[in-house]
Amino acid sequence: MELITSLLAGLWESSGFALLTWQNLVMIGVAVVFLFLAIAKKFEPLLLVPIAFGILLANLPGSGVMDDVTLSQAFGGDGTFAGTGHWYESGVLRILYAGVKSSIFPCLIFLGVGAMTDFGPLLSNPISLLLGAAAQLGIYVAFIIAILLGFTPQEAASISIIGGADGPTAIWLTGKLASHLLAPIALAAYSYMALIPLIQPPIMKLLTTKKEREVKMTQLRKVSKTEKIVFPVIVLVLIALILPSVVPLLGMLMLGNLFRECGVVERLSDTAQNAMNNIVVILLGVTVGATANGESFLKVQTLGIVALGLTAFVFSTVGGVLLGKVLYVVTKGKINPLIGAAGVSAVPMAARVAQNEGRKYNPTNFLLMHAMGPNVAGVIGSAVAAGFLLLMFSN
Amino acid sequence: MTITPQMLGIFTDIYGSYEAMTIGRALLIAVVGFLTVVCILALIALFIKLVAFIFSAVEKKNAKKVETIITPVENSPAPSAGNPLPEAESQGELELIGVDEPTAAMLMALVSYKTEIPLNRLIFRSIKLVEDEK
Repeated sequence: MELITSLLAGLWESSGFALLTWQNLVMIGVAVVFLFLAIAKKFEPLLLVPIAFGILLANLPGSGVMDDVTLSQAFGGDGTFAGTGHWYESGVLRILYAGVKSSIFPCLIFLGVGAMTDFGPLLSNPISLLLGAAAQLGIYVAFIIAILLGFTPQEAASISIIGGADGPTAIWLTGKLASHLLAPIALAAYSYMALIPLIQPPIMKLLTTKKEREVKMTQLRKVSKTEKIVFPVIVLVLIALILPSVVPLLGMLMLGNLFRECGVVERLSDTAQNAMNNIVVILLGVTVGATANGESFLKVQTLGIVALGLTAFVFSTVGGVLLGKVLYVVTKGKINPLIGAAGVSAVPMAARVAQNEGRKYNPTNFLLMHAMGPNVAGVIGSAVAAGFLLLMFSN
Repeated sequence: MTITPQMLGIFTDIYGSYEAMTIGRALLIAVVGFLTVVCILALIALFIKLVAFIFSAVEKKNAKKVETIITPVENSPAPSAGNPLPEAESQGELELIGVDEPTAAMLMALVSYKTEIPLNRLIFRSIKLVEDEK
């Protein structure tokens, strides 16, 4: 009888029920809410499903998926081997997490994004680049507020990059400056990207007049194939010479774009856009989600990050729309200020929002291609902003 | 093997440590950072303008070189105002000199469009490239 009792007691003690904390329960609830938003509401499901499942996996007590048996950081630590086990004995997601820590995943995502991006609208209307730059305003506003709230410069820089509305860029910079904040920053960045159709329209409406929203823009110039091939090469060299720190991200973005435009490596372009991108999204999403362990995630600081992320997003939209209004005046009504909001780099969600808002006030209006210019400019702009912050605060 | 030296942040280089961050310095960094993004993207915009200007100039030059002679046939027996060919049909022979078939097809379509005469009422004798591209 005693043996049976001991066995049952042992079984109970090693079960997840005995190890379950209230933090685990809350995070499992968060994972379920994210899964609901992704599956039922279709909010960025390609990213939110793996992220939410990663949260779920990391908060199942005793699963050990994120255990680090080397005690020091499994990868990229101080180089000393202080643990009792080999790195390959760590949890499976901990091992995969090396792709995030080493920046491999964000860079590969950028390769895929580059292969999917048509810079044609940007090339036919270069003024779009200014809108893409103005829409990075939120990054710097959030940076100042984060410093005021007592975050370290590295943390403030990592939080503020949420305003760039670019998940891989946010993960890339945070992984380098403040990796302990990776989970809340990645979750805030992707959540706000998914919520763009809710966040942006009220700001766009508030800052523009009906007359401005009704502006129909003229047809875009046709861009030659040679221009599209030359663009990624020259732009990369130009930016790399000014801000070398941004090369890992922009280099991969432009390589992917060259695959797309050169027309002689269709297989590589197809792989970068589809198979490879999908694989990396799965690995990145699950491992980033798995960093959201209840004990480290459920802090007041996380609420601060979420609020700062929203502030950054709002000010980025404001920056883009305000410059759009300036250009509306300068060009004597040829530019619809709504496309400025697309300067945040969530491609193509932000451009779609500009299109939908434009059509509400003028059903014959078709702003999508005009908004794609600032939208892809925003990708470059946020990468440049991240490169600048890295250069300022690298450890 | 060369390894790029690991750079410390510029802020530490200037102020000694991150502890030295004040709100004034944060403001300064924010302004410089925002201006950096604007300047770099404005530079790219200028570069795009320059490339577009060069390409349009080259295209204009090429367009002047490629002048074609399109001669409508006089006294054409088959397609006439009163007796056009069926829409999907053509007849006779067209001589192409220095012009490929897709270009010729495009030019014939253009002539038809500009003159507002259907293709089955037009006949072309020859399309000739006046000057070769260099």
